[in-house]
Amino acid sequence: MWLHMTNYAPAVELKSVVKRYGEIEAVGNVDLSIKPGEIFGLLGPNGSGKSTTLKMLLGLVQPDFGSVNVLGIDVQRDSVAVKRQLGYVPEAPRLYEFLTGIEYLDFIGDIYGIQTEEKKARINEYLKALQLEGREGDMISSYSEGMKQKVALISAFLHRPKLLILDEPLSGLDPRSAKIVKDLLHELKAQGVTTIMSTHVLEIAQALCDRIAIMYRGKLLALGTMDELRQKASMPGSGLEDIFLKLTGTGDIRAVVEELLK
Amino acid sequence: MNWKNVAHLIRVDMKSGRLIRGRRLTKYRERKLFTYLLYGGALTFGLAAGTLAGVVYNTISVVDQELKGLFQQGLLSLFLSLPTLVLIYSLVFTMMQQIQRSGVKFSVQAPYWLPITWEEHTLASTLANLLGFPMVSIVFIGSAIIVLSIFVGQVVYAVFTLFALLASAFMASAITEIFRILQVRFIGAVYKSTGRAAVWVRFVGSLIFFIVFYIGYFLITSGTGAITFVQTVASAQSAVWFVPFVWLGMTLYSFINGLLPQALIFLTLSLLFILSLFYAAVILNRRFGLYEPPAITISRGIYAPRVGFLGRLGFSTVEAALIRKDLKAFTRRRELMFIFVVPIVAILVPLMQAFGTMGRPVPTEASLYLFAIVFLMPGSIMAVSLGNLMIGEEGGVMWRIYSSPISAKSLVKSKYFFVVFFAVLVTTVTGIVGVVAFHPSVRAILIGFIESLLLVFALGAVSLVSGIKGADFTELPRPRMIRTWWGLVNLIVCFLVALAILAPFIPYALTHIVPFVSPQPAIDPYQAVVISAIVAVVIAFVAYRMALKNARELLTKAET
Repeated sequence: MWLHMTNYAPAVELKSVVKRYGEIEAVGNVDLSIKPGEIFGLLGPNGSGKSTTLKMLLGLVQPDFGSVNVLGIDVQRDSVAVKRQLGYVPEAPRLYEFLTGIEYLDFIGDIYGIQTEEKKARINEYLKALQLEGREGDMISSYSEGMKQKVALISAFLHRPKLLILDEPLSGLDPRSAKIVKDLLHELKAQGVTTIMSTHVLEIAQALCDRIAIMYRGKLLALGTMDELRQKASMPGSGLEDIFLKLTGTGDIRAVVEELLK
Repeated sequence: MNWKNVAHLIRVDMKSGRLIRGRRLTKYRERKLFTYLLYGGALTFGLAAGTLAGVVYNTISVVDQELKGLFQQGLLSLFLSLPTLVLIYSLVFTMMQQIQRSGVKFSVQAPYWLPITWEEHTLASTLANLLGFPMVSIVFIGSAIIVLSIFVGQVVYAVFTLFALLASAFMASAITEIFRILQVRFIGAVYKSTGRAAVWVRFVGSLIFFIVFYIGYFLITSGTGAITFVQTVASAQSAVWFVPFVWLGMTLYSFINGLLPQALIFLTLSLLFILSLFYAAVILNRRFGLYEPPAITISRGIYAPRVGFLGRLGFSTVEAALIRKDLKAFTRRRELMFIFVVPIVAILVPLMQAFGTMGRPVPTEASLYLFAIVFLMPGSIMAVSLGNLMIGEEGGVMWRIYSSPISAKSLVKSKYFFVVFFAVLVTTVTGIVGVVAFHPSVRAILIGFIESLLLVFALGAVSLVSGIKGADFTELPRPRMIRTWWGLVNLIVCFLVALAILAPFIPYALTHIVPFVSPQPAIDPYQAVVISAIVAVVIAFVAYRMALKNARELLTKAET
């Protein structure tokens, strides 16, 4: 299904994408187009195909059928060129724990070819903003999960990417840092940076995203702004949580809870 | 003590050790067969060795009565020394096993938040340690001595020895458990007191620890050392009866000599000692089990960009960053440090043989052979080990490589450089030691150095091929880095490659080994070097291309 006919050069474009793992169809015939400067939410229950879709954008998973274009580049043809222009934070990212925070960010800066002085300035700015100053010389193995998440986020922002792919980006962050990241995403949007985020915290998705896609069993169930989703679910005035549960057919929560409490 | 909990925990530990990565990176399967084969193999070999020794004994008995008596006496001496011998090598092995475990925080693991007591946890950990190599070796030794004792008529002694061996291995495993906890606490104290030097203190400390243990192990278990050890223990343990570690041996000694009350006393003492070791481990676990060493602060927020050297060598910023990162990994990750020990031990053991530390001094004609070992082996071992581990050592952080703009070419180039650089460094150092120790001719030095370089380049590239193809990113309970099958295949291929490279020198080796039978070589040594170089360059080139192909596949099919 081609949900949105567009008249702009999309930042991300998936055409009839299919990915199978043996008998299981992880992603089934998905068409998707994301505008530059858009904050796009990719939602779905566990195993719905979100991670596979995100990995296809990075060139880490090859689709069995269809094409994936990111920033005008065919990912299958030149994944390195795509990776150079995007920042990625996986869910629960593992970092090189034997490096210090600053060594890790220095490594990332070099990988993305940032000039030394610029790299130094940007690292210091981010460390200060996310309150990692004073701990940057410690080995990452001694960091809390929240601090590791901050380092992972900085490493995604450091090279000023045109596209951000963030899987649960606010996980483990303290309220101040979470607010900084949210505001930063809005500022970057104004600069034309596209963000695709996957999260299970639906309040965050509702507050941050311009458009939201809901995936279920590898298919794109719904796509649009909050108003469009409400219309599709025939639930005017409802929040994303209710819409999500109705569309994914997982709304029988009360019965489940009652069963558990027996 | 909830024995079900203990059994479950042992099963989890054993299962994690048995899991084998399948063809797809994300899929693991369990190979119980391999474990059972190990025990089965040990039992079969044990029975065969015991039967063979028994047949020898029967033959001797017919021919020479005096020799028969000596054999019986020798077997009793062996029984007496076996508990101590098993204690020592079980200790070495279980400690090595612990040290190679991942440095990832243990407090995230289930036993620390599930309702499991420290007694159950400690017992499971101690038994799981024991159920690996120590148990396999006990199966081998036990089956051998019981079969042999049937021939000799010492079955009762053999059965008691078998129980003593089990107790010794448990003792060793409990000591390792104590050592593991103390080590974590000690490291914490060292970090606090050494500050920024902590990384190097840990690196040097770990190397010294590894080396002392390996050398101790070799001294006791290899060549004449083992026989001397058996004789010493058998004759001297009565003199040091007050040392708890020989109480098991003393129990056997007393029993064999008919001193039953004394045997009972030493048996009680042994059991009390084992219990006290176990409870010491429990108490330490309760006290420090959840202790996490303080953070190592390496820099104080001073941004120190490193530019220049690697760039001047022709490496791109990406490649230089990867090389610098790997350098830090190998000096800071405890589980990777052992790689530096092998070349050091490879130098020390021949040196000790040469200078008579392990027995009589070796004859001078063997010097050239030892020099070749010191020159060729350490660098080659380093190239093979590093090449195999360079990709798998990334572990769970491999996503960083996958998602970064790193081409297959940059990845292979940086990893290959790292392998070759360290292997050449080791070759140079061991070469200098070899020259100082064995005084070879200038020609031998020149040829030795060139050949070791050729081996390093070719074996490094070959090992990188399997290191990429067979990478295993599992990190718990210990980083696997390479799939077992690929590791074994690589060893065989590397052996054949080394043989092919050194083939032109085989006639020279033969003239030294069997001078009267071997004809004089048809080519001079320098021509042999040229042929050897051609073989090595072709192999290195082909392997490097294959490594590139494998890396491309790895980076573009990250999911399989």
